[in-house]
Amino acid sequence: MIPYLAVIGDSFRAAYASRVLWIAFVAIWILLAALAPIGFRQEYTTDFRSQDFYNGTRLKAMLAQGTVDESLVDQPLGRIASALPEELSRQLRRVGEGDEVRIFYRVFADALNACLDDESWYSKEAWSDTLQFRELRELDALEGPLEESIRRRRARLRIEAALPGVFEARSSQSIRLRYAGNDFPARFATDKSQFLTLVNQYVLPVIIQWLMGFVLVFLGILVTASMIPEMLQPGSLHLLLSKPVSRSLLLISKFFGGCTFVLLCVTQLVVGLFFIAWLRLDIWNPRLLWCIPVSVFLFAVFYSVSTLAGLIWRSSILAIGITCIFGSLCLVVGVIGGLFDSFVTRPDGVRNLQLAGQTLIGSTRGGGLSYWDEQEKVWSEIVEGNPLGMDRIIPPVALNESTVFTARIRGGRFNPFGSGASDLLVMKSESNWVGEPSLRLPTSTTDIFLSGDQLFALNAGELSAASVEEVLAEVSERSEVEEATDEGTNQLGENDENGQGSGAKGWLQKLSTMMGGVTEGFSTVLPKNIALTPPRSLIVDPEGSYLVLYTRGRLIRFVPSNDADKLWSIESEKLVEGEVAKKSWLAISGDVILLVREDLPILAFDSKTLESRASLDMPDKLSPLLLEGMPNGRGFLFVASDGLVRRIQIKEGENDLQLLQPFGPDEIECILVDHKSDQAYIVHNVDRIDTYDLTEMKLMKRRSPSLSSWRFLDAYVISPLRFIVPQTGELGETIEAIISGESAKTILDGPDAGEIVRYQLLRPITSCAMFILVMLITSCYYFSTRDF
Amino acid sequence: MMVSQAEVMSDSRDDNEECPVVDIGRLEKRYSGWSIFGRKPIDALRGVDLQAGGGDVFGLLGPNGAGKTTLIKVLLGVVKPTSGTAKLFGKPVESVEARRRVGYLPESLRIDRHHTARSALHYYGRLSGMETQVIKRRTDELLDIVGLGNRDRESVSRFSKGMYQRLGLAQALMHDPDLLILDEPTDGLDPVGRNEVRRVIETLRDQGKTIFLNSHILQEVEMVCTRVAILSKGKIRGIGTVRELSQRLASEIVVFELGVPEELDGTDLMQRAASQLKVEKDHLTWRPIAAGVIDFTASLPGRDQLDQMVDLLRAEGVSILRLEKKQPSLEELFMQLVDDSAGDNAEEQP
Repeated sequence: MIPYLAVIGDSFRAAYASRVLWIAFVAIWILLAALAPIGFRQEYTTDFRSQDFYNGTRLKAMLAQGTVDESLVDQPLGRIASALPEELSRQLRRVGEGDEVRIFYRVFADALNACLDDESWYSKEAWSDTLQFRELRELDALEGPLEESIRRRRARLRIEAALPGVFEARSSQSIRLRYAGNDFPARFATDKSQFLTLVNQYVLPVIIQWLMGFVLVFLGILVTASMIPEMLQPGSLHLLLSKPVSRSLLLISKFFGGCTFVLLCVTQLVVGLFFIAWLRLDIWNPRLLWCIPVSVFLFAVFYSVSTLAGLIWRSSILAIGITCIFGSLCLVVGVIGGLFDSFVTRPDGVRNLQLAGQTLIGSTRGGGLSYWDEQEKVWSEIVEGNPLGMDRIIPPVALNESTVFTARIRGGRFNPFGSGASDLLVMKSESNWVGEPSLRLPTSTTDIFLSGDQLFALNAGELSAASVEEVLAEVSERSEVEEATDEGTNQLGENDENGQGSGAKGWLQKLSTMMGGVTEGFSTVLPKNIALTPPRSLIVDPEGSYLVLYTRGRLIRFVPSNDADKLWSIESEKLVEGEVAKKSWLAISGDVILLVREDLPILAFDSKTLESRASLDMPDKLSPLLLEGMPNGRGFLFVASDGLVRRIQIKEGENDLQLLQPFGPDEIECILVDHKSDQAYIVHNVDRIDTYDLTEMKLMKRRSPSLSSWRFLDAYVISPLRFIVPQTGELGETIEAIISGESAKTILDGPDAGEIVRYQLLRPITSCAMFILVMLITSCYYFSTRDF
Repeated sequence: MMVSQAEVMSDSRDDNEECPVVDIGRLEKRYSGWSIFGRKPIDALRGVDLQAGGGDVFGLLGPNGAGKTTLIKVLLGVVKPTSGTAKLFGKPVESVEARRRVGYLPESLRIDRHHTARSALHYYGRLSGMETQVIKRRTDELLDIVGLGNRDRESVSRFSKGMYQRLGLAQALMHDPDLLILDEPTDGLDPVGRNEVRRVIETLRDQGKTIFLNSHILQEVEMVCTRVAILSKGKIRGIGTVRELSQRLASEIVVFELGVPEELDGTDLMQRAASQLKVEKDHLTWRPIAAGVIDFTASLPGRDQLDQMVDLLRAEGVSILRLEKKQPSLEELFMQLVDDSAGDNAEEQP
């Protein structure tokens, strides 16, 4: 090994002698010096910002109501409205009178922030009936003069309590970035752990990807492209080959030696970032150091091309040129692959599945709705999906084998409110599942559930219910009206006049609808002091005997009451420790309710008393994606960010959760558990369905749809091409995964919450490693067999 | 010198004690050439046979394009022969064991600019598998031998051509090889430097090393080489000591000092001799050395022609003042052998 180590060592010396290396060093030192003064401090989250408003329409409507409704003068809503600036009050008054007035979020934010300084609007009696968050109760209990920041925090919580369903759940602590001892003007309304996640998952990977993925790789190729052609000069090569060394190993040593340039630069940059993150941002993240080998690995992909080109043409200019062309090819293939993912494969992904008798109906990511045609072995479209469309399909629910409810929210893909209220669609098998409009759904409905003889609609701030009978009756009524008027132009799910009726219904109904309140035929289900702002999760008993809600750290079981207002009452409640802003999943199996939250232990509760039963730590680097309860208390099906499905069981007679080994297919999209047949329908790899018998956990049936022409092209041309051409761009995801220590990330893809997307770890590494191997073997063969 | 290396190799040396250091048999090398008119292969070596033993200082001579560089590349394992055998120390030239005992000085040595003389020697020593301590000791010795002792820490980018050659010689000697292949070792050196290199070669020869010397400077080869091979158009035209080669030559060189009558000059005499003795005019030269006295040199194929030449001179009334048979110089041998190969042109394009 001595000769080959000598070659690598000589490359280090050559690199150190390079002026370009020292220029790169100086540039890195300047960058690190510029980043070094960055710091942060934590403070209470007090001021409102535009992003804090989850339901701006509801805010406008509530404040308008507080402004104009005399009966609310001594209520929190009226007191806050009275404290608002005169100009805003005038605008809200116009809203209350039925005018369309556009008010910017920042105007609301400024007005509410002004309220934080002067709490004259507060009255203990008025607020006694509002939702009391735990933090607010603790702050209310404090006596004596409070620090300014704590006082403002308390004022904010009081405003949030007075305006339920309006604000996003935010951490109590915010991060304020500092530079050289001075505060940045902007605040991050996240606590420290979220801030660290943000830095680890987005900031550091972006810096490293850009600097290493582009700048250093390109610079490295410029510097090292001449190494192989120079080695091939007669006076140099013949001397080297006269030594007792193997040609192949000599070339490989030179190859690794060439990587030293990037290694030296990357090491300085990553180690510098590591120390800045540690000493200035209090982020101890040794995983950051893994970016050094990954970055060198990325460079090695391009350098392997440069090496072969240098060997064949013996020209550094040609080597650089060929490498640049190769880089462009990688980019083009990556972009084409990304386009196919975005516009071909991903929109076809089945996001929700429903079983109506023997018919499987699925809603897709592209806003489409299809049913499985067993004879043709294809998904037949009911509502055509559109990758660029902005519509959202409410996950369908099946009433019986011939009737399914769903809705199409126009413009609701990223905005929970869409372009207004939408009609509930009733799809019947006899009309080939074509939907017919029924009752108008409350604004911003995200999910519907069937419970007993009622249909529940969950929206931004309310859970409302309508009787199934009325829903079906409305369909018939509308059909008759349509036939009578011979209009027939009211297409499925479309709104009329922004979802509102004529002005005859009056402004109060309008306000109610704007607030996301109930629409005709629906009635409120939950008491008014229950906040339903995301993140939240809900399970509804199909028999209609209870529902369980998790929101803002509270797990609550509701049961129907016989009161005149028909509101469901709280039967039991449990406060759950942990960050309230984390996304959550609830499922029930037998007498156990399972609560799964991001980065927090899995918790099991008794389904009636909500007493804690067991807990289980979330496996490392896994984030939850899906949770479904199995029939007869057999446990739960849990899909994690690795795309695999596992069973979670409670050991018989013990309060101990057990996470079993994954089973079934990978790349899980969604799961439907059919309690009647005791079967699970697992949708995987976009739109394939595997049916498992849950009693024996055995595969019963596999459904693979025949591919459309675009999907065929993707499967047999684009995907192989993406495997052959190393996906260097996807190595960026590898860096993200390494730095964050996670196997998935959350991206914005829906009104309720972001969608968790798995990092592509294996594909880019395998693809790049195979490519390097092939290039090196080719180079070694050429170098060993060629006369020089 | 190179104790550890030598010890390591002792077994293999014993095994191959009887083998020639360099053993080339019927070696052929054909380069595949391409042009827009199709394939145009070039025969660089055409059946070369050559052996060199321990202690030989073997001179390889030949005009440009004769195949010398190809032959050296084959010996170094850089170029693979088309057919035939090439062995060093009884082992195929491409084997690592064979190359471990070879030191090579290329014609135009390139050493990376980041090196000093000392670091370059360390690098090449490591490439030869030497231990650091041995390299250090060897470096000190060799830098003194080649006259770079006081400039050992200077960047080679400041070195002159001659200093490069000295450094190249040092690196070739670094691992104390048994066979040294020196390609134009004195190129760029001043006379003092050349003399030093000659002394190094002689010292190595005395140590029993085999030296394979490729040089255009025939006098130098003549001075240091014990054996010579003259290569032309891919074939060995002559091989052996300079004496052996000259004895094998068809012609003898005879120098006459002649007293010439006034009516006869050297040119007339040369024309008559050429026509009567049927000798090429190129093989006859003359020059005046005094009034009525000329120096007349003739390259004659045999004793009969010498007798006929004497008879002719006497018949023309020329007095033979002196007659001397002369040993041909290497240059004369070289020229003659190369000229004799001119007729092989037709074979060059198979």
